[in-house]
Amino acid sequence: MTDRKTLDGGILSEVARGNERAMGNCIAKYSPLVWSIAKRHVQDHSAAEDIVQETFTDLWKSAKRYDPAIASESTFIGLLSRRRAIDFARKESRRPQLEPMPEAESLPYAAIESSPPLRCDSSDVRAALKELPEETQKIFSLHFDEGMTHPEIVEKTGLPLGTVKTRLRRGLIDLRNRLSRLDNAQPFSPASP
Amino acid sequence: MNDQDILSRFEELEAGHILGDLDPDEIKEFEMLSLDPRCQSDLSLELTASALEAEFLKDKDPDLPKKLLERLRKGMEEFVVDEPEDGAVVRPVAWQRLLVAPQTGWAMAALLAIFFVAKSFVEEPLVARPALVVNTPEAARETLVAKAGDLIESKFGGTERYSQMSGTVIWSDELQEGYMSLTNLPANDPNANQYQLWIVDPARDEKPVDGGVFDISTNDGTVIIPISNPLAVTNPQAFVITLEQPGGVVVSKQEVVVALAKSS
Repeated sequence: MTDRKTLDGGILSEVARGNERAMGNCIAKYSPLVWSIAKRHVQDHSAAEDIVQETFTDLWKSAKRYDPAIASESTFIGLLSRRRAIDFARKESRRPQLEPMPEAESLPYAAIESSPPLRCDSSDVRAALKELPEETQKIFSLHFDEGMTHPEIVEKTGLPLGTVKTRLRRGLIDLRNRLSRLDNAQPFSPASP
Repeated sequence: MNDQDILSRFEELEAGHILGDLDPDEIKEFEMLSLDPRCQSDLSLELTASALEAEFLKDKDPDLPKKLLERLRKGMEEFVVDEPEDGAVVRPVAWQRLLVAPQTGWAMAALLAIFFVAKSFVEEPLVARPALVVNTPEAARETLVAKAGDLIESKFGGTERYSQMSGTVIWSDELQEGYMSLTNLPANDPNANQYQLWIVDPARDEKPVDGGVFDISTNDGTVIIPISNPLAVTNPQAFVITLEQPGGVVVSKQEVVVALAKSS
């Protein structure tokens, strides 16, 4: 497990202070990731751009809530982006429905400050992924790597939709448990200021 | 359902919520269970999904629209706390004009740089030097010289107001590491302004890349300054030192250009 400073370079502490240079570097470093996440979840180009803009506005406001003891900067920023993108996709998916769906966008998210740590770097994620059952790895690859939707995975694999959903959900829980165990097994070296 | 069943069901629905695949009935069920004091959620599942997605997306070319980047830079302005400094304006110079103007004399600096690099490769094989492990900038520079197989080296030339300064810059694309060696660069007051290095890498961006902010504390002697680039640089064509407000800037107005080194 790697020290947070090594992982991300500690830009967000400066962003939280409103440092213009750090904010510019933050855009340069993380906008490709945020854009990729937005495009993955939202088909509309213009809406994806709005999501990126809103994610960075969130970030300028919430950078002070970032705790390097909980997650890496890229994971934290990815989380803000995913929330925006998935909430938008949920709202969009409701539009053609004749029967109104529940207010999905108001579903609860856990508070950013209240979480057990999940400090992991790239190699930790890859190592934990390899420990998952092969069929889960395959569905993860189709969903997270190739960006396939659930119906596309059903089409590709021939699995029922329910099975795809269950494997993704349980695979995510399994991966979280493995990463948590890995995290608890190694002491954390706090990032230098 | 017993407590364990309820918690397992809540966890599965939470995963579905994070993956964005809950159906209408599941959304209602998730809302109900979220009100149950036994069902406590935390960020860990969401962080896992985020780490996983970032891991899979990190090597993909996102083809980020340039207009979006401009929007982001404009959007951040209202959150910037640092006040811009009303410092003395020496002269506004476009990067391109500075780099191509024949009267600047940088052509001579470029020729010297090429000669210097060629000479160092021919006369003294870089790999033959012993590695040093002392953690001073000088030692770190020597270590880089010893271990880098793709080192480039260029000479700095000061602009009119800084004509007394001299120096070199070394850089390794492979190791993403470099150092400036600067002589007779005037000391700055960090509360008033700071020097900032810019790396011109047209292959990466038409705008120069930030190479770090630094101070000079003495008017005499030579100082070694490590280059601090948050972004990868692949083919630097020039290194430019400007004087900026404390903390540096995101995009230089090139009001006070101190020195320039062209690598080819």
